[in-house]
Amino acid sequence: MTLAERLAAYLSRTEGRAVAVENLARISGGASRETYRFDAVSEEGRRPCILRRDPPGSLIDTDRRLEFLAIRSFVGREVAAPEALVLETEGEELERPFFLMGRVEGGAPASPFGVDPYGAHAREIGEQFFTIMGRIAAEPVDGLPICEAADRPAPQDCWRRELDYWSGVIDADELHPQPIVRAAIRRLRAAPPPPAAKIAVVHGDFRSGNFLHDGAGRILALLDWEMAHLGDPLEDLAWAMDPLWSRPGDTRISGMVPLDEALAIWKRASGLEVDPKALAWWRLFASVKGQAIWTSSAKAWLDGGMKEPILLFSGWFTARAQDEILARHLSELGPA
Amino acid sequence: MTPTLPMILVGQVAALSAPAPPEASGDYAVSRAGMVAMLLMLSSQEAERGPAARVWENGALRSVLAEAAVAYDAPLEGALSSAAGVTDGDGGWSALDGANAELRRRLIDLHRAAEARGDAPLQRRILDLYVEMARARRLELPGAAG
Repeated sequence: MTLAERLAAYLSRTEGRAVAVENLARISGGASRETYRFDAVSEEGRRPCILRRDPPGSLIDTDRRLEFLAIRSFVGREVAAPEALVLETEGEELERPFFLMGRVEGGAPASPFGVDPYGAHAREIGEQFFTIMGRIAAEPVDGLPICEAADRPAPQDCWRRELDYWSGVIDADELHPQPIVRAAIRRLRAAPPPPAAKIAVVHGDFRSGNFLHDGAGRILALLDWEMAHLGDPLEDLAWAMDPLWSRPGDTRISGMVPLDEALAIWKRASGLEVDPKALAWWRLFASVKGQAIWTSSAKAWLDGGMKEPILLFSGWFTARAQDEILARHLSELGPA
Repeated sequence: MTPTLPMILVGQVAALSAPAPPEASGDYAVSRAGMVAMLLMLSSQEAERGPAARVWENGALRSVLAEAAVAYDAPLEGALSSAAGVTDGDGGWSALDGANAELRRRLIDLHRAAEARGDAPLQRRILDLYVEMARARRLELPGAAG
């Protein structure tokens, strides 16, 4: 059976009526899951949907239930979360675990490595981007669906949990010694940040390229929630600020707005202040986390038979760009 | 981990040879082919500069390890003075990367020791070297990419 036939059989069984799958096509989007668009057609009409299925080898070992519940936590809350429909953690009918989402029409993501990806709409996009991020930070976590699956760290432990996890990824996946990121990890451990101002939902990959926009200045949907967790909301802010997401020479954050504007928008939307010392810690951490992801990507590329070009791109080009960012950052900080 | 050029080229053959199911044709296949093209373009940069960058980095690592040997060789159990014996072998990719891995491991230990001792001048020297090492391995995207 083809994937379309298997998916149609699954939908027909679970919905108790005949459902046909039309226009199934794989799309680029997120390297940790296979992503497909399709139309589910039944007697009630045509529903535009997205299938996210675990790949045989994954860029990041993420919990699909957490991703699903994180998306569900923000449906209807003005943060451009798509509709989360169904989660299958076993997923034998499609060979691997998967979940289904509603498809948001009329938009496309921009490449984070493109030249001036938002053109004349950069400021409008930046205003929405940091507003949405701030709204997620402002949302009280109690009662949100994500709490069913996510651990809730104490405010003083957010940094340690994240640093332990991502440095562990490097320990596990590194195939060539990386002195630069090792120095950054030691630096972070030696001088922890202040406790989180609050515990919030952290999207985990909130950056340029991870949202749909309509080409006319409007963000339609926030994508790739697979690294969502509870933690310090400054983690998302710092991740978006990593120089990796801006072209060399472009001082705007994520190619959108200057740093001071980004901070002002985020503070307004979140109702939180930004401790400069804490943000500085999370900004260095962001590059460590990035390098961990790219290290993992290179290993996944090798383990997967060297077939997936996107994994190689991340594990080679992006890893080297991240190393350069880290080296400059450490040099600016000076001796420990 | 830094994939070597031979691995990268073999990988692109694998990517182009892998049969695609019907649902992975169309726009996805076009996008994937574009990614392969970009990787091949980056490969040409690596072919041009990669060996020289590795030879330079290995030499720079031996230098800093040798300079620090007077003060740090004993606590690091001779790892610095013996670094001169970590050679680039036949100069092929595998030999250069093998030597590089060994020298980098010793640099990590040296940097950690310099931090523990509060040795600011040596730390500064190593931090500057990191900047040069990363710059020497830079790959450049053409225009919009992605």
